[in-house]
Parts: sequence; C-alpha cells; structure tokens
Amino acid sequence: MSWANHLVIAPILLPLATGAFLLVFDERRRAFKALVSLFATLALLVVATTLVTFADTAPETGTAANTVYLLGNWVAPFGIVLVLDRLSALMLVLTSVLAIAALTFSLARWHKSGPHFHTLFQFLLMGLNGAFLTGDLFNLFVFFEVFLAASYGLILHGSGSLRVKAGLHYVVINLAGASLFLIGVSLIYGVTGTLNMADLAIRIPMVSADDRMLLEAGAAILGIAFLIKAGMWPLGFWLPTAYSAAAAPVAAIFAMLSKVGIYILLRLSLLLFGADAGASAGFGEPWLLYGGMVTIAFGAIGVLASQAMGRLAGSYVLVSSGTLLAAIGMSNVSLTAGALFYMVSSTLTIAAFFLLIELVERAQDPAADVLAVTMEAYGDDMDEEEEEDEIGVAIPATLVILGICFTGAALLFAGLPPLSGFIAKFAMLTAVFNPEGLGASSGGISLTTWVFGALLILSGLAAMIAMTRAGIRTFWAPIEGTVPRVLVMEFAPVAFLLILCVGLSVQGGKVMAYMDATARSLHDPSSYISDVMSASSLPGPKSVEAK
Amino acid sequence: MIWMIVLPFVGSAIAALLPTNARNAEAWLAGVVTLVTLILASASYPAVAAGDAIRSNIEWIPSLGLNLSLRMDGFAWLFATMISGIGFLVVLYARYYMSPEDPVPRFFSFFLAFMGAMLGVVLSGNLILLVVFWELTSVFSFLLIGYWHHNANARDGARMALTITGIGGLGLLAGVLLIGHIVGSYDLDRVLASGDLIRSHDLYVPAIVLILLGTLTKSAQFPFHFWLPNAMAAPTPVSAYLHSATMVKAGVFLMARLWPVLSGSTEWFWILGFCGMMSLALGAYFAIFQQDIKGLLAYSTISHLGLITLLLSLGSPLGAVAAIFHMVNHATFKASLFMAAGIIDHECGTRDIRRLSGLFRFMPITATLAMVASAAMAGVPLLNGFLSKEMFFAEAIETHAISVLDTAAPYVAVLASAFAVTYSIRFIHGVFFGPLPTDVPSVAPHEPPFLMRFPILLLVVACLLVGTIPALTIGPFLHTAVTSVLGARTPEYSLAIWHGFNLPLLMSIVALIAGVILYLLLKDYLSRCEEGPPFFRRLKGQRIFERFMVTVSWRWARFVDYRLGARRLQPQLRLLVTVAFVAALWPLYSRGFTPGRFTLTGADPVFAGVWVLGIVCALGAAYQAKFHRLAALILLSGAGLVTCITFVWLSAPDLAVTQLLVEIVTTVLILLGLRWLPKRVQDGPTIASAVPGARLRRFRDLAIAVSVGVGVTLIAYAVMTRTPPPTIADYFLEKAYSEGGGRNVVNVILVDFRAFDTFGEITVLAIVALTVFALLRRFRPAPDSVDSPEQQRIQTAFDEAQPDRETGETIIDYLMIPAVIMQWLFPVIIMFAAYLFFRGHDLPGGGFAAGIAMAAAFILQYMAAGTRWVEDRLRVLPVRWIGLGLLLAAFTGAGSWLFGYPFLTSHSRYVDLPLIGDMPLASAIFFDLGVFSLVVGATVLMLIALAHQSIRRHRVARTIAAADEETA
Repeated sequence: MSWANHLVIAPILLPLATGAFLLVFDERRRAFKALVSLFATLALLVVATTLVTFADTAPETGTAANTVYLLGNWVAPFGIVLVLDRLSALMLVLTSVLAIAALTFSLARWHKSGPHFHTLFQFLLMGLNGAFLTGDLFNLFVFFEVFLAASYGLILHGSGSLRVKAGLHYVVINLAGASLFLIGVSLIYGVTGTLNMADLAIRIPMVSADDRMLLEAGAAILGIAFLIKAGMWPLGFWLPTAYSAAAAPVAAIFAMLSKVGIYILLRLSLLLFGADAGASAGFGEPWLLYGGMVTIAFGAIGVLASQAMGRLAGSYVLVSSGTLLAAIGMSNVSLTAGALFYMVSSTLTIAAFFLLIELVERAQDPAADVLAVTMEAYGDDMDEEEEEDEIGVAIPATLVILGICFTGAALLFAGLPPLSGFIAKFAMLTAVFNPEGLGASSGGISLTTWVFGALLILSGLAAMIAMTRAGIRTFWAPIEGTVPRVLVMEFAPVAFLLILCVGLSVQGGKVMAYMDATARSLHDPSSYISDVMSASSLPGPKSVEAK
Repeated sequence: MIWMIVLPFVGSAIAALLPTNARNAEAWLAGVVTLVTLILASASYPAVAAGDAIRSNIEWIPSLGLNLSLRMDGFAWLFATMISGIGFLVVLYARYYMSPEDPVPRFFSFFLAFMGAMLGVVLSGNLILLVVFWELTSVFSFLLIGYWHHNANARDGARMALTITGIGGLGLLAGVLLIGHIVGSYDLDRVLASGDLIRSHDLYVPAIVLILLGTLTKSAQFPFHFWLPNAMAAPTPVSAYLHSATMVKAGVFLMARLWPVLSGSTEWFWILGFCGMMSLALGAYFAIFQQDIKGLLAYSTISHLGLITLLLSLGSPLGAVAAIFHMVNHATFKASLFMAAGIIDHECGTRDIRRLSGLFRFMPITATLAMVASAAMAGVPLLNGFLSKEMFFAEAIETHAISVLDTAAPYVAVLASAFAVTYSIRFIHGVFFGPLPTDVPSVAPHEPPFLMRFPILLLVVACLLVGTIPALTIGPFLHTAVTSVLGARTPEYSLAIWHGFNLPLLMSIVALIAGVILYLLLKDYLSRCEEGPPFFRRLKGQRIFERFMVTVSWRWARFVDYRLGARRLQPQLRLLVTVAFVAALWPLYSRGFTPGRFTLTGADPVFAGVWVLGIVCALGAAYQAKFHRLAALILLSGAGLVTCITFVWLSAPDLAVTQLLVEIVTTVLILLGLRWLPKRVQDGPTIASAVPGARLRRFRDLAIAVSVGVGVTLIAYAVMTRTPPPTIADYFLEKAYSEGGGRNVVNVILVDFRAFDTFGEITVLAIVALTVFALLRRFRPAPDSVDSPEQQRIQTAFDEAQPDRETGETIIDYLMIPAVIMQWLFPVIIMFAAYLFFRGHDLPGGGFAAGIAMAAAFILQYMAAGTRWVEDRLRVLPVRWIGLGLLLAAFTGAGSWLFGYPFLTSHSRYVDLPLIGDMPLASAIFFDLGVFSLVVGATVLMLIALAHQSIRRHRVARTIAAADEETA
C-alpha cells in the first residue's frame, strides 16, 4: 500500500495524535500548544483538499472514485472500513476550513480561558472526520461519542453559570440521543446481522416481511438520534440556547456539528432506503420532509423573535437544518446538489456570524438590544419633530470592516444576491420547481413544492428583517458606543469565511458541478456498495505460528 | 457591454478606499466612471439602432441555467443611457450638495454600486441575473437612503424601503422561477419568444401575481407606495436619482420589458389597472397636501408612475408606447425638480412650503428652471410632459375591456391631471413667490454655483426640446426602444405637438383650468394645514406598516416561539422520548407487530429470581433518586451486580469482569462526588400537592415512561426471540484464533477485528476525563456543602468534649486498620492488574480491565490516606498517562504502515520469554498497553478532580467567612 492510500485515515489520526501529544506538555506552555494545534489544523486542511482531488478524479463518467480503507486489513463487512467519496471529502474540507477559522479566532483569547482547549478541539475534529469517513454503523456511533464528548468539554469551555446551565442541557439531551442511537443500531444489527453500511444496503431488500417492521423501527429510532443532532422541531429547542451560550469559536465549529446529523441522514437515507431498498424504499422521507418544513418555519420565527444576535444565529441554524432535512426528504437528485451547495454556504456563514457576533457585541451595552426593540415597538408614539442634522457621521474604520462583514453575513442569511446564499437558494428552488431539469416538464406544481418554495423564500425574508433590525441598531443607531478593540487575528477568520462564500459564488459553476456529481453518486449508490464490498485485503502473515 | 456594469462596481470599490475627506477626488472618480459608462452606452447606439440586440454571454453556473448573459436592445439602451446620463448629472450635483464634513467615500461608493446594479437590471439577458441585480438595487438603495444613519427617519425609511422592495424582490424571484418552469429557460430571448405559451399556462396567474408583486413594490405603486415618501430622508442627490432614472423605474421597466409576454389578460388588466389608477389619483391628491417639497415631489412620482402602470395595464401597443415615452419624460423633469428642491433646502435650511416664500428674488435662475420643470410635470403644452399626457388621454378614452375600470379611466385621468396642475402651481407659487421669507433658518439664500445648477439646466433644456421638436430629438431613440419592445406589434404613432382640436386636448384644457381653480380655492387652507391630506391624515401607510411589522415579526413571532418552543430541560426530554416512541411505533403499527416465539423452556427459577432482585433494585434507585441519593446509589449498584451475574450466567466472563470493575470504580467515584451535592430535604408539603396540576403532570410522565419502557422491552424481546440472520459474529468466532491469534474472542474483537472502535472509545474516555477535570477545576462547592461532613463534626465535638484528646485525633484514628490494609494492598492490586493485562489475549482480562483495576489501587490510596498524603508521596500525572496511552495506541496502529499494511493490522506470534515461559505476543498487546495507560490516567484524573474539591473547600470556606465578616 502506498503512502497516498494511508492518507484517507490521516484526517482521523492527525488530530488524535496532536491532541494526545499536547496532553504530554504542561498546561502553561500555551504558545507552544497553540502553534502545534494551528499547524496540525493547517495540515488537516491540506490533507482534506488533497482528498477532494482523490475523490473527484472521474467526474465525467458520473461514477465516484471511492477509496476504501480496510482497517486492520479485515475485509468488509467483518472489519471496519473507511470510505472516501465526494460527499465525505467535501465534509472533511468544510470541517477543516471551519476549524482553521475557529482556532485562529480562539488564539486571541479564548484558548486561555479553560484547560485543555486545544486537545479537546483536536479530538472534536477527529470525531467529526471519523464520522464523515466511516462506513460502519457502530464505528459511526463511536465517532459520534468522540465528538460529542469533546463538544461537552468545549461547550463548557470558559465556564460561567449561563454556559454551564446551557451546556448541561446539551449534555443531557445528547446523552439521551446517544442511547437512542445504540438502541437503533442494535435493532438493525439484530435483524440484518451486519454493521457495515454497504452490506446493510445489500441486506435490507432481503429482510423478510416479518422482520421488516423491526428494521424500520430501528431505523426510525436511529433517525431520531440524528434528528436531535440536526435540531429538527420539536427536538431542537436545546440548540439555539446551547449555541448562543457557547464561546464564539466553539459556536463556530459547532455549526459543523449540526451538519453531522444531516450528513448521516443524507447518506443513510439514500444508501439504505434509496430506490433499490425494496419494500422499505423511501422510508422516513415524509418524516424528513414535513419535519424539515416545520423546522424551517419554527427556525424562521425564532430568527424574528430573537433579541440577541447569538440567539438569532442559533435559530438560523435551525432554518438551515430544516431546509436541508426537507430537501433530503424530497429525494431529488438536482435538489440534493442544491442542498449540498446550501449546506456549505450556510455552514460557512453561520460560523462566520458566530465569530462576528462576539466582535460586534464587545462594543455593545447588553441593554441596547432590549432598548432597540422597544423603541421600534413604541417609537411611533414618540415626538419625531426634532430638527435633524444633515451632515453625515463617519464610521470608525473598525466598525466599517465589521459592518461590511455583517452586511455580507446578512446577505448570505437572507439568500440575497450576489453571494452564495442566493445561488444556493436559487439552485434549490429551480430544482424543486423543475425536478427533471429545466424545461423537461412544464406541468403543474404540487402543493408540497409550493410550501417548500414558500418556506425557503419566507425564511430568507425573516432573516432579512431580523438582520436589518440587528444591523441598524448595532451600526447605525447613535447609541454612544465605544469602538470595540478587535485584533487582526480575530477579524481575519471572519473575513476568510465570508470570502470563501464570495468564492463559492464566483466559482459557482465548478462548485455546482462537483455537487451535481456528488448528488448523482449519492442517489445511485451501487458503485459505493460494490467498491466497499469488493475491496480486498492485502495477503500477508495473517496466520498464527502456533505450536 | 460588460464594462458598463463592471466599471461602476470597480469605481465603487476604489471610492470606498479613498480617505474620508477626499471630496474632489471622489467626485472626479465618480464623474469619470459615469461619463465613460455614458460614452460606452452612446457608442453602442448604431449597433442597437440597426435593429438587433447586442448580446454577450459568460458562463457562470450553466447547470442551473444561470449565466452572465447581457443583452442590449433599444429599450435597454434607452434606459442605460438615462441611468448613466442622469447618473453623471447627479454626481456633478452631489459634488456641491454634499457638505465638506460628510463622509463622501461611502456616498460615492454606494452610489456607483447602485448605478452598476441598475445598469445590470436593464442589461440582463437572463431573468435570474436580472433578479440578482434587482435585489442589489434594493440593498444599495437601502444603504443610500440610510446614508445619514444618525437620523431616525433615515434609518426607518431605509429599513422600510428594503423590507418592501425586498419582499417584492423575493416575489419576483418566485415569479421568474415559474416563468422558467413554464418556458424551460431563464433566457430573456427565449422567454420573450414564448408569450402564447406563458399566457395559456395554468401557472400564468400565480406567475404574474408574483412578478407584479416585485414590480409594483419597486415602483412604489398602491398599496405599496408608502415607502417612497419615507425614502426622501436620503440625501437629495440620491432622491433625485431614485425617483427619476432608477429604482422606481426598475419596476415599470420590467413591466414594459415583459409586456409583450405577460399583458393582454383580464388579470393583468385588473391588477395593474387598479393599482395604477389608485396610485395615479391618490398620489396626486396626497401630493397637494404635502408641506415638505420633497414629499410633494415623492407623491407626484407615485402618481406619474401610476400613470405609466395604468398605460401598461391596457394591453394596447399604443399604451405601451405612451408608457415608455412617459418614463423618459418623467425622468427628466423629476430629476431636475429634485435637484432644485435640494438647492432650496441647501440655501434656506428648510423644505417646508409654509415657511418658504418669495425665493424668486434670491435665486431667479433656479426658480425659472424649476418653473419650466414644474410646468412639464403639470403637462403644460410645449413641454415633454404634455406630449405623453396627451397620449395617455387618448388611450384613456379608448375602450379596452368593458369594465368599471375602463369607464372610470378618462375621469380619473382628468382629475389626476388637475391635481397635478394644482400641486405644481403650489410648489412654484408657494416657494418662489409671495412675501419675503421670515421663518427660514438661513438668512441670506442665494444662487448656487453654476456647476450645481448646470444639471438642472441641461435637463430642463431637454424638457423643452422634447416638448417642442419631439420628432427631431427623442423621436428616433424612442422608436428604436419601442420597436425593440413591441417588435412586429409596433403601432403607428405620431409625436406631433398638434393633433388638431380633439378630445384629449379638451381634457388637458379642462384639467389645467380645474387645477388652477382648485389651487386658488385651497391656497389659504394649504398655508395653514398640517402635513398630509384631509381624511387620510391619520391613515398613514408608514404607521400601519410599522405596526404590522412589529406585530407580526416581533409580537407574534415571540408568541409562537414561546408556545411552540421549550427552554426547560424536562419538557424537551419528554418530547424527545415521545417522538422517539411514536417514530418507532409507526412502522411497528403499520407493518404489524409480531413478537417472536415465546417459550418458557430452560427458564431457571434462580436466574429469574436474580433478575427480579435486579429489577426491584433499579426501581428502588429511581424512586429514591431525588431525596436519598446514597440509597439510590446503593440500589443502583445492586442492579449493576445483577448485570454482572447475568453476564457470568450467560457465559460472558469478559464482560462480567469488566462490568464488575467498572461498577466498582464508578460507584466509588460517584460516592466521592455525592459529598458535594447540595442537600435535598423532604419536608413540608411536596410540590405535587402545592402546585395545581403537578400531580397530573407526573402521572402523564409516568404513563409515558411506562409505555416507552414496555415498548423497548417488546422490541428487544422480539429481536432476541427471532432466528438470527447470518451475522458477522459467526465470522469472528471462526477466525479469532486462526487469524486474530487469540482464544478470547471478545478480546480479539476488541483489539483486532474492531480495534478501531476500541481506539475511538478510549479517546472518548480520555475526553470525558478531561472534561470532568475542566468542569470541576472551576467548580466551587455549594455553600451548604462546604462544612465538614456531619460525621467528622461529631468526631471533632467528641474530641473537644474529652479533655485528654487533641482535636482531630478521632478523625485520624478513624478506620485506621482498614486504611493500613488498603495501603498494603497497593502492590497486590498492581500485580493483579498486570495479571489481568497479560492473560487478556486468551482468557478474560485485557488492557481495559487491567487499567480499571490499577485505577482502583489509586482510589484506595486516596481513600485510605487522604489527598494530601498520597500526593506528597506519589506523583501521578494522569494527563500524561492519558496522552502517552493514546499515542502508544496510535503508534502501534501506525506501525503496520511500515510493513505496508493498513492501520491497526495486527501480527501475532508466541514468544519464549525467560522465566515466564511461552507468551502469546501479538502486536495488539502494545495497543492494549496504550488502553491500559489511558484507562488508568482517565480514571485517576477524575478521581483527582473530585478529591481536590476537599482541598479547595477550605479556600471556599475562608472566602465565605471573609464575606460574612465584611457584612457583619
């Protein structure tokens, strides 16, 4: 096996080794730890981008080039496999990008506010990457546990009673979710006798009619575990509270956490219950569709009802999740491609916005939030006859930069052009209105489509209204605020993430082509299955030299 | 052509980077950019006039049908010229208008970007691209209107403009998507060629409703008109631009653009006709009663755009011609009037007509220019406004579709024109004539610099020229524009001034005279009255809108959020469990639940008895958990023991050993932690009887818990009683020894077949330990658990009571013998751990069990001798144990890379070690060593975290005491 083949496991081992290595050193050597952590994360980004090129080698045939890594040299389905395809490669890159941004941001001050920040952060990355790479259901559980455990540590990072309270809610809910996960996996194993996802895909159509109800019950319970993570209504109430209570860089990387649930649902619903799943084909899709749509509505209302920006962002996470869930539930190739684009764009935006909030709020008096809304509600009764000065006020440079970033984030949230938020929304809308491609059918439009389209558009409107409200009171309202002190190190990650969104928009054609290829191979998982099942182990000294 | 759009945006970026006070540099930059754009536009006229549209196409996202395709035909050209031409004039004007202290980079930067977006709207050859630019105009107009953001009016106006036009933009997007769905392409050429297809489609009505939502909001048409008057909080150059060539014109532009495709239906006629007529009449009526000059002009804009909308609603080609013509005319006179209003404001410091008068004496030239422009607005002959108005009258009297609307059209037209005359006269007479102003902030108003007046002059000359010699000036350009829109349907029309004495002319005369009379009648009232028209004064669109927004987007949203959400943990968990239950029940119900075979054979009464015991323990633990934690914990460990026995019974000694050790260690750790939890005393009436409904809620929760529990039992039972399918476990049993090199299958699975899972799980353990440590490090015990435990207090009291004892002696003596034994057990347990470790590969044991055992040894030491004593003598660095353990495991796994095998491939052989004898030695043993080290480290770390609370307690006690002293 060449070194390049081992690269597939690097996204798991690299953060692990870094995290463990950092434990050996004393807590006080912060600068050293920070440097090691930063370099490891940069290396992770390099690895992830390299893996994308691995995964995207054969775009024109439409079949994915899946790299299968047999751990311990045991063949599937007996051993554990890692599978790199376009989707997992995409998730890896997204994770490492967010990681770079969040880590850089944390170096300004957050990493000092509690023990073992870097180790926990690296372990979190390990868990995320593992969850994206693994092709085994139980191993997925293990990596879920890894990143959940690390996230427990990180959400409590920085202490404070508010954070601890929200954090403990988070811990309890996710522990309950993890139990459901185990119950679900056990049921599925009990009926099919395998844990390998590809093998499951083969065995599920063959499950006897008697056992099918158990299989589906298991899948449903398993699905609930992921839906909790994704924050579907009514399972996601913990999410805005927890995310807005977390430290800024932690909240930024948590933007990825809610996407893990989405990733798994996307992968498993298409792999296990796709078109070839026999009697169970399409299982769970209505749940995702309707649940997702309710989640969009609830999230959008939450966005409007948020006073603090942190909660606004938290609610937007729900909108984003709901959109993706509904899109998965519709099970349409071009919609999946659009949804993937949306996922990347919205995740980057959410992360950037969580970082930005902290910088913006540094200058703000917490009472201003309450005041601004009250003013809006009752302001029309006030006397507005005062003579107003018609000479502009220059905005200090720091605020200008923050303001530009804020505007960018607002455009992305609201799905307004020209940034990637619009492209994502448009891609989904055009896919949902024209499921067979533009011009292929110009008949009527189903009610579900109407509702989904309307929700997509209205949630953007809600975000626009809420963001304008927040932006005006932060940047325009003449409340005598001090200009926040912002380090370049803190500003740079925000700008980096937003510039990536601009890049997504500019390079929309190429990105969309990748997403299209990804969606196609997801909807036709035959090559995934055959690649996993046919991966052969290396011949070697596997025999015991027994006496 | 692409440069016409790119250039303003580039200019905008440069403008943003210039220093705050670079007023001249900014103006030069903006002037050059607009001028070059204008030249580019003019240069492309010959090609456009030749009849065919110029196209350019750059691929953007071809798979979605979205490309940067631009298309300039006569109509787009007309608009592009207007946008860049008036843009240039506005820049020139703004140079003098903006105060030296204004931060101009922001102004010019937004201005240029806005212009670019507007050019993008008119030049787009793809409907989605058009929407992109459309939304950009909304965004940049928001920024421009809110330029003076320290004024509350500017902020509110900007937000309202963005909200309304933003909603419209989203509607437009939806409408365009429908058009794309119908036509099969977003390309403008394709869409324009598919008129019949669109009009006959089922989705035609939703499509036009959505598109018109976009255009009517943008053009500030009734009932969305109210944002426009509020947008006048913008600097006047911005108003001049927004009201003339851009923004509001985008709406009518798009309606004219899509006119050949969409118009001609009853729906189109009714929606547009009604909105247009209402805007025409109400706008003109409202304009009369405005005291602010800009307000007057703003309502007049609504009225004039209503006229255009009404013309477009008719569905007759002549109407479209008139509409296009009026777009141009309105742009010229409205831009000049706003500029004049700006000059007045600039010179006098107020725009209130009641306070202004007699300005003609101070600024005769400006006044003359304003008069000519106003006359054009009123539709006085020999000016451009007259010509298009005549065309409008001619169309209004034609019958297009027999309906109330059509019948009313001529009357409304005359009425609105009369109003237009009235407000035009009011503007001129009120501001420029009459006595000298007395109530004006600025004392000596005078003529502005020539260059500031120049744009007005140019526009007014244009009004005059078009009004007098239309065929020689606007004629050819208008014709190009009209043919590009209407194509083969271009009607015969004449731009002559004199059409003979006909009905339209009569209507004009009536309107003129009626307008003058109306002004004379209202003059006195107007000079005293409040802002706003009679009857409608209290009914302000802005107020309604704001109330509506607050109610819907804030009050209702919060209400719904509160009703449908939950912040507390308990309801969330209840929901979680319920949803999971329903989700699992659904397939069971719909597919029919069949439990497996139920047999009692082989049921052992002893085993059953053990289980009954375990169940009782578990229930008891749950029952006691709230008020008697210790009892609950003891019961819990009872249940744990039953689990261990079950494992032994079912021949799983590995699991039994591990479970037993884990039970011991966790119980001890929890016991240590219990000490720090605040006391809960059950006294007085319980909450259940105090809070109404609490008992009911508890019964509901009990019901949920019982049904879910029964449900899980049933499915578990159903799975276990089925014949298992061929599972991967069979493979493990078969290959464990032959290929895994171990007889203990469980251990081989853990360290070889599924070593990667183990690898992950030990990481979890490490993380949990670190998290517990991190959490507890900052944790301070609750005040009521800071005191020594009760037992220790009694012991100390005993010492104090006895004269022959030193205080604290009893505590030291307490459990002396067990403590010594525990200390001596240290090496023994270490040996035991080693034993467990090495036998692991073939017999129950292994790194995990050994690690737990080893940790137990440390726990005993801490318990026996106390934290301080142990840490003085035994330096444990658990964090390093964890780190090294993980690294060892990782390196063992990576070791197989050296031999070219995947991660964690194991290799095993028997080694003959001296003294010990034959040893099974798999590479997995190093992995197991890593597990061992990590487990020890993690457990000890948690132990230390808890143990250090007792050290920290004293510190807390001291601070509390200090605080008490201070308060005392």
